[in-house]
Amino acid sequence: MNPPTPDRRTFILQTAGALAGISLVPEGVETLPVLQGPRLKLGVIGVGRQGRAILAELQKIEQVEIAALCDSSAPRLETAAGRLKDVATFGDHRALLDARTDVTGLIVATPTHLHRAIVEDCLSAGRHVFCEAPVAASLEDCSALAKAAAAAKTVSQAGFQGRSNPTYRRAQPLMNAELRQLVSMYAQHHRKTSWRFPGSGPEAEHAANWRLDPEVSIGLAGEVGAHQFDVATWFREASPARVQGRGAIRLHKDGRTIADTIELDLIWPDGIALRYQATLASSYGGLHEMFFGAQGTIRLAWSHGWLFKEADAPTQGWEVYATRQEAFGEEGIVLVADATKLAAQGALASGIGLPHPSLYYALVDFVRSVTEAAPVRCSLQEGARATIVGILANRAVVTGEPVAIPPMG
Amino acid sequence: MTDPPLRLAVAAMGTRFELALLAGSGDLRVAGEAALEEIDMWHRRLSRFSPDSLLSHINRTACCSPVSLDRETYALFDDALRVWRDSEGAFDITVAPLMAGSGFADSAVSARAGWADGRAVALDPDNWTIGFAGPHVAIDLGGIAKGHALDCAAAVLRQSGVTSALLHGGTSTIVAIGAPEGRTGWRVGVASEADTATRTLCNTAMSVSDAWSQRSPTEAGGHIIDPRTGGAVAAGRRAVVLGASARIADAWSTALAVLRRIPQMFPSGFQASIT
Repeated sequence: MNPPTPDRRTFILQTAGALAGISLVPEGVETLPVLQGPRLKLGVIGVGRQGRAILAELQKIEQVEIAALCDSSAPRLETAAGRLKDVATFGDHRALLDARTDVTGLIVATPTHLHRAIVEDCLSAGRHVFCEAPVAASLEDCSALAKAAAAAKTVSQAGFQGRSNPTYRRAQPLMNAELRQLVSMYAQHHRKTSWRFPGSGPEAEHAANWRLDPEVSIGLAGEVGAHQFDVATWFREASPARVQGRGAIRLHKDGRTIADTIELDLIWPDGIALRYQATLASSYGGLHEMFFGAQGTIRLAWSHGWLFKEADAPTQGWEVYATRQEAFGEEGIVLVADATKLAAQGALASGIGLPHPSLYYALVDFVRSVTEAAPVRCSLQEGARATIVGILANRAVVTGEPVAIPPMG
Repeated sequence: MTDPPLRLAVAAMGTRFELALLAGSGDLRVAGEAALEEIDMWHRRLSRFSPDSLLSHINRTACCSPVSLDRETYALFDDALRVWRDSEGAFDITVAPLMAGSGFADSAVSARAGWADGRAVALDPDNWTIGFAGPHVAIDLGGIAKGHALDCAAAVLRQSGVTSALLHGGTSTIVAIGAPEGRTGWRVGVASEADTATRTLCNTAMSVSDAWSQRSPTEAGGHIIDPRTGGAVAAGRRAVVLGASARIADAWSTALAVLRRIPQMFPSGFQASIT
């Protein structure tokens, strides 16, 4: 998932009222600690669009050596290998596992419905695994992956990037401390694209367009919504209890059966709901989540985040250390490393985002878990639970009926 | 009567990229969206406006230790430095601090960085890395990134079977694939304050640098900085470069607008005009 850069200026202008904006850029992310563990040889299985993004972020991590690539498409594999120096290539992941026992960690970035067999093989072979999210396309596969992860002695991480994103990690504890009383949630994924991709022939084209194949696709709710549902679940420390909604093909009437526009309500056991919209017909507003509370509202947009406090909200102790600034006629508090220096340079007012994409932080967390035994940010078991919510949300879209979400530990 | 071209667009690199797709063996919209995704990917990697871009990462860290690059990005920097050498310094990606000082400063490039030149950038061809001579160095690919993105997008279109298309970034850098049916090429007008000259493009790239097209907020001259002096290039200078590579044409059009002459090392196979 590649979150678009939000139009922060427009947003603040539109939102300015009785609210003061607090930018949720966490401290210390400009200079992340140097990784301490030994050099790690990694392989990437699946080198399509997401695999390419993963390789670009892995190249930034000095401790990582990209030693092997694997893809069932020979042209794609050749293209990816051509971008790197001295990397071994394999057309089948089992051949990689057999031939390169020195590759101790694998990143799995194949189409979602192909994850299970590959991840199980990697874990059985005693390798560490980072599995892109959603982790599977069926409830059965989610259950199998969770069991495989529980039985494995190696690290297994799911790629729900919000869990590693420093801005989200900064915002998560503010959920109770600043909002006090959560009243509702909203999230959206708006991107204008057909979700169709070219292939070198009919077979390759069909394979490339697995998101539009009703046999294997979990739709917008599962493929993109699951990431945002997971943020809400993580922030609330509880899963939703039921989901209802609908979907339709509003723009891309090209014979597809997968909805290009969906609307959902995910309802938690206490009655609080997350209203969700995803569309491939409009890019307006991009990708973001909002948490509305009686004392303030948190808005998160992957590279940026803000806390807007109500005028009657009490001042907290941590705000003493924050930099105050006039932003579009309102006084806000900016939380950012080196805020005073940046303000002197005039860089504060133009908006400050994370220095790396979310994906980078998720991969760094994986490397740390493998080499330094750091706690896993999002285990495969947690990833399986988050994926189940996405799959059931897609079921609600497809059937048009409310779907109960079973309690998950 | 032939169908009108399918037009697709994306906002990237501070401007608008547009594709006009006429013919191909596959679905034009699918091919076009893949090309736009390629442009957007390079925007995210090369933007000096985004703190999380690869370019911002390089500007933050290449002074401390070499930064690993993939083959395509290494080749881009290699070309940029070659144009710097061959243009006698008239095109220089280390112009970023000067751009910040000129009023085009809405970027992640730190204004505290000093003024270096291409010698301060070290490329290691054995390891595909980039390093800086010190913390005063910062780079800006504004004079070459658009062309690079267009080259990559054109490659995606050709791989997808597109045989007739026109791509441009901000109307100043253009790639023509094939020609409209029954014509020898795509007719493109190059406008100036005085007149409009028409060129016919087929399987080639063209880039125009015009010092009066986007004036600096703080300079009386144009938006192009002369890296050799730090001053703005006088308004009214225009260079047009045609050739096989949009990124080479992009960089050289900037260089020639500064130089106002065609140097000996101008690449063979490319054409240029300066007014």
